[in-house]
Amino acid sequence: MQFNCPKLTAILFVSGCTLALAKMTPEQVLTLPPPASHPVEFGKEIKPIFEASCVKCHGRGKAKGSFSLENRAAFLKGGDSGSAVVPGQSTNSYLIELVAGIDPDNVMPQKGSKLTSIQVGLLRAWIDQGLLWDESVTFAKPRPANFTPRRPELPAARAAASHPIDVLLQSYFEKQKTTPPEPVTDPVFARRVYLDVLGLPPTPEELEQFIADPRPNKRERLVRFLLARPEDRSKVAYQSAALVQRRAENRHRYAQHWLAFWNDLLRNYYKGPGDIDAGRKPITGWLYSALATNLSYDQFVAQLVNPNEYSEGFARGIVWRGVVNASQTPQMQVAQNISQVFMGVNLKCASCHDSFINDWALSDAYGLAGIYADAPLEMFQCDKPTGKTAALKFLYPELGEIDPKAPKAERLRQLAEIITKRENGRLTRTVVNRLWARLMGRGLVEPVDEMENPAWHPDLLDWLAEDLVDHDFDLKHTLEIILTSRAYQLPTVKPNEEAGSSFVFGGPVVRRLSAEQFVDAVAALTGVWHLLPASTDFNLSAGQTPGTESSPPVSPKWIWKNADASRTAEAETIYLRKAVYFSDIPAAAAMVAACDNSFTLYINGKSVTSNSELQKPKMVDIRSYLSQGTNVFAVAAANASVSKPEKGDPPDNPAGFWLYAYVRGSRGTTPENAESAWDFGSDHSWLWSAAKADQWEKPEFAATNWAAAVEIGEVDAAPWNLQQKLKPAMTCVAQYGHVRASLVNADPLLTALGCPNREQVTTSRPSAATTLQGLELTNGATLAEQLKRGAERWVKQQPSSGRDLAVRLYRQGLGRPPTAEELRLAEELIGSPVQQEGVEDFLWAMTMLPEFQLIY
Amino acid sequence: MKTNSPWNRREFLRTASAATLSALAAGYARPLLAKEAEPKIKPTADTLIVLWMAGGMAHTETFDPKRYTAFEKGLDSNKVLSTFPSMDTAVDQIKFSAGLERIGRVMDRGTLIRSYTAGDLGFILHSRHQFQWHTGYAPPQTVATPHIGAVIARTLGPLNPAVPAFIDVGQRFDLGEGEELKAFHTAGFLGSEHGPFVISNAEQAAESVRPPAGMSPARFENRNRFYRTLLAKSPMGEWGSDYQKESLLRSLDNAHRLLSSPAAKAFDLSLEPKESYDLYNTGKFGLGCLLARRLTEVGARFIEVTTEYVPFMNWDTHENGHTRMVDIKKQIDAPIAQLVLDLEARGLLNRTLIVLASEFSRDMITEGKPDKKVKDQVIVPEVINDLKYYGMHRHFTDAGCVLLFGGGIKKGHLHGLTAEERPCKTIQDRVVIEDLHATIYQAMGISPKLAYEIEKRPFYVTRDGLGKPIMALFG
Repeated sequence: MQFNCPKLTAILFVSGCTLALAKMTPEQVLTLPPPASHPVEFGKEIKPIFEASCVKCHGRGKAKGSFSLENRAAFLKGGDSGSAVVPGQSTNSYLIELVAGIDPDNVMPQKGSKLTSIQVGLLRAWIDQGLLWDESVTFAKPRPANFTPRRPELPAARAAASHPIDVLLQSYFEKQKTTPPEPVTDPVFARRVYLDVLGLPPTPEELEQFIADPRPNKRERLVRFLLARPEDRSKVAYQSAALVQRRAENRHRYAQHWLAFWNDLLRNYYKGPGDIDAGRKPITGWLYSALATNLSYDQFVAQLVNPNEYSEGFARGIVWRGVVNASQTPQMQVAQNISQVFMGVNLKCASCHDSFINDWALSDAYGLAGIYADAPLEMFQCDKPTGKTAALKFLYPELGEIDPKAPKAERLRQLAEIITKRENGRLTRTVVNRLWARLMGRGLVEPVDEMENPAWHPDLLDWLAEDLVDHDFDLKHTLEIILTSRAYQLPTVKPNEEAGSSFVFGGPVVRRLSAEQFVDAVAALTGVWHLLPASTDFNLSAGQTPGTESSPPVSPKWIWKNADASRTAEAETIYLRKAVYFSDIPAAAAMVAACDNSFTLYINGKSVTSNSELQKPKMVDIRSYLSQGTNVFAVAAANASVSKPEKGDPPDNPAGFWLYAYVRGSRGTTPENAESAWDFGSDHSWLWSAAKADQWEKPEFAATNWAAAVEIGEVDAAPWNLQQKLKPAMTCVAQYGHVRASLVNADPLLTALGCPNREQVTTSRPSAATTLQGLELTNGATLAEQLKRGAERWVKQQPSSGRDLAVRLYRQGLGRPPTAEELRLAEELIGSPVQQEGVEDFLWAMTMLPEFQLIY
Repeated sequence: MKTNSPWNRREFLRTASAATLSALAAGYARPLLAKEAEPKIKPTADTLIVLWMAGGMAHTETFDPKRYTAFEKGLDSNKVLSTFPSMDTAVDQIKFSAGLERIGRVMDRGTLIRSYTAGDLGFILHSRHQFQWHTGYAPPQTVATPHIGAVIARTLGPLNPAVPAFIDVGQRFDLGEGEELKAFHTAGFLGSEHGPFVISNAEQAAESVRPPAGMSPARFENRNRFYRTLLAKSPMGEWGSDYQKESLLRSLDNAHRLLSSPAAKAFDLSLEPKESYDLYNTGKFGLGCLLARRLTEVGARFIEVTTEYVPFMNWDTHENGHTRMVDIKKQIDAPIAQLVLDLEARGLLNRTLIVLASEFSRDMITEGKPDKKVKDQVIVPEVINDLKYYGMHRHFTDAGCVLLFGGGIKKGHLHGLTAEERPCKTIQDRVVIEDLHATIYQAMGISPKLAYEIEKRPFYVTRDGLGKPIMALFG
């Protein structure tokens, strides 16, 4: 970061230039303060001077001008300007010349106040007396905190506490002289845990089922059911199909909730700054699948640090066109982001100059960044070249070495191995702390990005980190441990961090629903969700237990006019048509298509979309184009020409078109409801013609003499091999009308509620409500529209009375029946028979209640 | 804090202290005192209006005309400096390019800077230069940098508590480079409380402070009353009183206050008398100026009105520069002049600073700076035979015009000088972004060395705290 630079530039560069080591002239020696006359005590008299005036630049891992006074040996070695001291001869010691200010343009220390004559005298005497140095005193970089794995002994469990977290907290509460209150009630617990695991409030049915469950361990069972960790086939065999299905759904509900958290951390988005020049590459498909399959955290990190083609967006960073500050090159970005996200280390300052806020040096930042560079990476200090390169290393070299001679791919492999090593207790502490903060409203260490800070309960932090390792880096295990603790189930408290007071844990802090949670909670209440995801990369069938996968009702084929089109076809545009019959107006309809090389689609004569990017299948909402009866899909599919080489045969020129349409009638939108599943795809039932007839795309056009299209392969057909894109895309269109907020680009409502623009890593969102949020909630079009359509849906269900509807809305929205007073008020507003506007206004009021918006 | 405003001061203090409370609770950035004991800066303006000429306004075609060469076939493109004749303004030594007569007639109320120099950011990207102009820093940055409007909103707060402190008029974000524009239309680490209240279309401004579409005021009030009652009757129990709840209720309160306050009427351009409305109505930008005037009257703190950045549209002239300039000048000339005159007539100009600026200038030949050329983005023939090549189509960063009116700024003053021959670059009194920002902050009573702490380090409101106000511009 360049903020502080200009002031320092002068200072920093002088030290590099003071090569001339002129001896003091006798006249100059005379001007020196006299040496102290008593035997100097290093610990009492010298150490404080070093600490106050020298160590910031020449200790704690930093060595300006290559001079370090970490210990006596380093001190004697000197720096770029030669030796600093001659033992026994203070008048021949360069150090004395500098601290005494002989050359007014070259005085040490360069920052802060000059040494006093008494201090200079002490230093002189100490040198003259032979530089006695108590070996136990060093000014080396302190050992990192929260770093070495440590497994605290769990105290013996005592009455009422058997859960490890609670056992660890028992003595904490005793020390604080507090008795934790009783855990919250079942409904409060269920709402919390649903929102924390899945991001959604429980449905009335889910809530009632849980409340009615008489089993004493029902809370643990609920947590495990929601987390739905993948199970092996043998266990699944004993489960009902419905349970298997619900658990699979939970894995996706989980993934869609935690997606927002990881998008923030990894600054992934479906669009964002840098898009203009393809300066960012989303990792959406990789991230979603990693969450849905509960990829172990060590693997998760390894695949981001040493990426594959699907996860490389994180390490590639965000590239803006033009010249960027040296501290913001892609390599510096990845160094900063790995440090911040995975290690809780702020390397931002050190990317520009040795940091003033922590012990990280420029060479640490470049040491890590250089691992990602294709050629040796020159260090820039405050955006100016230094001519030096840094030794390649991870932040904590004790974890392992990076071979500077190895090719980049090998270095990244080494880095991934080092970061995910068992010995890296910072990696695990950082992530368990993030999870704790997410669930409890405040971290064990705060801020969550400053993992050098002490935890308010070190044993708890260390134990959770080791427990994560013991369970194969399974983050869902850590979530389960926290969620099943009594600590999580305590009543919420308000944040008690007024200035000056220290934190005392008393239970989870009241949180506000995140932007995505709020929008989804409103969707659960109104039945109005987003229509389509913002990307076709979400694989909504990832993570299914083997043998239980569901498949779409049709399997579209790549088609063209000739059977060998997958090898070569004429460079021409062919025309394709398909007539489909729907017995009703479709309630849900979206399609995805890909073409080598480009296509334009018409439905019932109207131009719908076109696409020429084979690698980016086009997803379109087509509901408004469809009608009851026969609908005609017409496609102009073009195979572009390839340039001929000067000699030899022309190269192959494959051609193919692929389309999947998801269409459901109003009687149901679930796959099982086959009678209204009108899905179809490209296959031999499509007709083609090479001639562009007049009105060829119109529904009334008679495609006589058109031939049947030729199927040239399944979804995974070569040479395209696009199954990795097309299969997820099929699951995306099948989500039509049920899409959660984390899967779409931020609209004004999500933005106002705090969904960040993913230009920077975001590790915690502001929690206080703002006026702009209030405005967006009060009169913003997005929410107003969602509530209006929601009210329409409720009215359509023909509730018998306003009272009946009010009860249902309370159960759905707040998970409880209304009080008599609430019922009276609600009934009055809703009206009987119910009034659309009344319902709309009631929905607004309910969603504005703290009871709706807070996690308590 | 200024206290002579006509708005309810008690109300203001209540809001301000509440905002501070929530800011503390949420861990927002806190201000750092400048290290040097700075004398407190006495503001000369309470309101700032930025008139943003988005897309790159050629200085030689607007406020710094050079030798005019009329179009004819076979023109040597290197000889063309201006495609309009120059004309007199109300100030003897200042000439404008033809088409800006009305602004010329009010030039005696303001200062013209001709030596603004944009940053050297390499290969030109409009949104990146705009980012730098609006935040003082070039992206990418390691922390989310706040827009100048957010800095002012955070530092000074609203002038009238019922009017958002940072209002952004005229820009849509779903067009080209929308994501890059969003990156700086933000309060960044200062917290979204201070972010822009976005009005993409001035004509529809009233909608942003009205009940939702289709809801009558009576129903709106009824809905709010119902909510209050429901809230009072709600069994609060364990989710009782705490700052989260208070902050939510306060945000809704603030929103409701704006929607029902007399200030909301200022957003409604249909209430403007027709005669006056017509004076401004040259299009979206003109109406934006009218909205700015109306909002200034009710106590807005910061308003930006943009001609709107749309790639290759408006000021972003990659072809037909001359022809398009005729039209753009028509859009801006009358409303800007009228804005100055109206504020003056209402006695508000002396406490309102108007700043007209653009991310960089344009030239026919040079892309970037003469001594720091960057990759050309426009093809320019050596000999012009077609009118479409007649205009300033390349992106020029070594000069640029900034107009300032009111807010304590000198009247009828000229600052800076550019060369009479190509490259028509700055040759005297160069002004860079941090100094321009420092000057604006000076007028608003903010130190250029003011810093906010983020991640334990200072973030200065002018780049590295180095901005120096150009005191010669103050009257």
